[in-house]
Amino acid sequence: MLRTAGAAAALPSLAAIMDACSNPRDAGSNSATDPAGSGGLWQKGWPYPLARQDKPVTWNIFPDNKPIASNLPSEKNATLQLYNWDQYVWPKVVNEFADKFKCKVQITTFNNMDEALAKMRTGQLPFDIFFPTIDVLGKLISTKLLQPLNQDYIPNLAANCWDVYQNPFYDQRWQYTVPYTVYTTGIGYNRTVISDDEIRAMSNPYDIFWDPKYKGQVGIYDDYREAISMALLRKGITDLNTTDTAAITQAGQDLIDLLQVNNVRTSINGAYLGLPKGQYQLHQAWSGDMAAAWFYTAQNMAGYKTMGYWYPKDRVGAINNDCIAIPTNGKNPVLAHQFINFMLDYTNAMNNFAWVGYQVPQKQADPTTLTTTKSTYGEPYVWPWLKDAVVLESDFTAGYLELELTPPVDALWHDAWSKFQSG
Amino acid sequence: MASVPGPTSRRERRRQRKEKRAAGQGVWYPRWYWPSFAAPASVYLLIFFVLPLYIIVSLAFGTVDPVFQSPVPVYQPWFWTSQYLTKVASEAVGYNSGVYLRTFFFVIVASLACVVLGYVVAYYVARFGGKRKGLFLALLIAPFFVSYLMRMLAWIDLLLPGGYVNKILGWIPFIPHHVNWLGGYPGTVILGLIYGYIPYMILPFFGFLDRIDQNLLEAGRDLGASPARTFLRVTLPLSRPAILAGLVIATLPMFGDYYTNDLLSNSPRTEMIGNLMDHAFNNTGQGPLAAVLVLLLMIILLIPMFYYLRSTANELQVSE
Repeated sequence: MLRTAGAAAALPSLAAIMDACSNPRDAGSNSATDPAGSGGLWQKGWPYPLARQDKPVTWNIFPDNKPIASNLPSEKNATLQLYNWDQYVWPKVVNEFADKFKCKVQITTFNNMDEALAKMRTGQLPFDIFFPTIDVLGKLISTKLLQPLNQDYIPNLAANCWDVYQNPFYDQRWQYTVPYTVYTTGIGYNRTVISDDEIRAMSNPYDIFWDPKYKGQVGIYDDYREAISMALLRKGITDLNTTDTAAITQAGQDLIDLLQVNNVRTSINGAYLGLPKGQYQLHQAWSGDMAAAWFYTAQNMAGYKTMGYWYPKDRVGAINNDCIAIPTNGKNPVLAHQFINFMLDYTNAMNNFAWVGYQVPQKQADPTTLTTTKSTYGEPYVWPWLKDAVVLESDFTAGYLELELTPPVDALWHDAWSKFQSG
Repeated sequence: MASVPGPTSRRERRRQRKEKRAAGQGVWYPRWYWPSFAAPASVYLLIFFVLPLYIIVSLAFGTVDPVFQSPVPVYQPWFWTSQYLTKVASEAVGYNSGVYLRTFFFVIVASLACVVLGYVVAYYVARFGGKRKGLFLALLIAPFFVSYLMRMLAWIDLLLPGGYVNKILGWIPFIPHHVNWLGGYPGTVILGLIYGYIPYMILPFFGFLDRIDQNLLEAGRDLGASPARTFLRVTLPLSRPAILAGLVIATLPMFGDYYTNDLLSNSPRTEMIGNLMDHAFNNTGQGPLAAVLVLLLMIILLIPMFYYLRSTANELQVSE
C-alpha cells in the first residue's frame, strides 16, 4: 500500500463560504444528536465512545440511517465507485466483479485518511465503497457518513472470516464494517548484513535501531503513531494509545536519541523500495509491505532473498487491520453489498492478497501453509524466509492496535513527533 | 505647447482639441479604455491569487473542526484568533529554530554555487559558443523537458551505495568510494538543490550575457584594461540584473522546496521550512499551522522580492 504523503487541497465549497455568517468557532459542527454508540471508552467532551481492545463499542443504528432492505435487485447500468488507497486492490479482481454483476467499476484513490475524510464530508462524491482504517470509524459513523450493513447480502463474512471478525471490538456485531486486510508492524532488514538468527537472538530486537553499527542505514516509518509506538514497545510499554505524557515524551526523546546515534531517516516507502535498493539496511516495516516488495524488486529472487522481517516471537507487537464500508451517499448500495461479499469470497480474497501483499483474514488460509501454497501467480503468498510476516488470528489477542485518540492526547503524540522531526 | 490662459469660446476650444489631435496625440479614447486592457489579468489575479490568499489567511487565523480536526476557515477578521500564529512563532524560536537556520544555510550555499557554476556555463556559451550556440542553448533548455521529480528520482539510483557515483569514485585511487550519499546528509540535499535549480539560473544569465555589446568589452581592452579587469569592471556590473533575476527565479522556490529533501535525505537532520509545511499539511489537526507557515514564508520571500523590484526599477530609471 503506497501511503505516500501527498497534497490534499481541501478548498471550501462556495456554499461553505456563503454559509460563513456566524462564528464557526461557536458551532460544534458534526456533533451527533443521538448517542453514537455504547460501550467503549468515553472521554469528557467527546461525542462518541473510543473503541479499545478491552472496551468494545457497539455503534448505534440511527433512525434516519437504516440499512437497505433485503433481497433487492442489483442496480442496473451502474458504475460502482470505489474510494481506496493507491495500489490497494487488484484491478483484475475488481474487473471480475464488474463482469459478474454487469456493472462498471471506477476506482478513485486518496493519499491519506484526512484527505479521504475531507472529501467524503463534502457529501458531493457518491462513493459506494470506502476502505477506512479502524481509528476513523467513530468519526464516520457518528456523523452518518457510513450506512449500516444489511448482513443478508454478506454471507461470506460468517462463512469465511476469522472468528475475531465475527464480533470485532471496534464494531461489535460488524454493523458498519467488514475486515479487509490484516498486518503487523515489525522490522525489515537486509539479511546479508543482519542474519535472521542474529536479530532473533537479541533480548530486545527493537534495540537494533539504536545500534551505532548501522549509522546512516536506519529508517522508520514517517508516521507518528507507528514511530512512537515502536519506541514505546522497546521500553515494554504495550498501551499504544497511551495518554501518559511522561511515556510519550520519553518515547519522543528516544527517537531523538536515535537521530543522534544513527541519523535515522523517515520514509513511507523505505521498507518495500528502500531496503531492496540498499538505501536502508534496517527499516520499520509493515508485514504487507514485505510481501509486496516482491513486485518492487522486479521479482528478482536474489535481491528479494536479502529481505528479512522480524516480529516478536511472543507475538506481542503492533498489529492492525483495515476495513471495507459503505458510504451513505453512494448511489449503488446493493452492488456495494455484493462487492463486499465478493471480496470476502475465499478465491477472490486470496487473489487480491497475492497482488496487494496484505493478508486477508480468511479461515481457510492456513497460516502455516501460506509460505508453501501457491497463489494465482504460482508463487507462495509469503516467501518462506519471511514467515514472520504471516499474521495469525491469535495475534489480535496477543498484539496491540493503534486506535483513535482524542485531540488533546493526539496533540501530545504530535508534539513529541514534531520535536523529533525538527532534528 | 503653451496654451494661453484665459476664457476661450467653445469654438476656440474645439479648434484647440483638433490641433492637439493633429499634432500627434492620436485618436481620442475614453479614460477607461487603456486600463481596461489590464482587466483580464486583474480578474485572473483576483480569482487565482487574492481570493486563495485570503482563504489561506482565513485558515491561518481560523480554527479546526472539533471532531474531524480538519481546518475550518474563518472569513470574518473580527473572529480571528492568533493561537496558531503564536504556536508557529514560539516553535520558530524554540525547537524549530534549527530548521529555519538550516533552510537559510542550505539555500544560500546552493544559490551561491548555482550563481558561480551557472555564470561560468552561461558566459562560455554567450562568448565562445560560436556556431554551436544553438546547440548549447538547446542543451540548456533540455532539463526543462524532464520534470524536476524525475530528475531527483534519477539521483537516488545514481547515489545508492552501489550506484554509479560510488562506482566512478571507485576508479579514482585514494578517495573514499563507499560514501553513503543517501544517509541523510546536508551535502546531498545541497547538491540536489544545486542540480535541481541551476537550469533556471543559467537561462537568464545567458539571456543577459548574450546581449552585452562586444564593443564595450573591446573598448575596455583598448583603454588598457587587462582581460580580468575588463571582466570585473565591464561584464560583471552589466550582468548584475541577470544575477538578480536568476536569484529571484531559482532561490525563492528553493526556500519552499521539500521534495529534494524528501527524496535525497529524509532525515530530520536536513529538515527545511518546506518540510515543516508539508508535515503540518498532512497531520491531522495541524492545517492552520500549515497556513501560518505559508504566510510566514511569503513574508520572508517578500523582502528579497522587494529588493529585486526596487533595484530593477532604479536601473530602468537610470537607463531612461
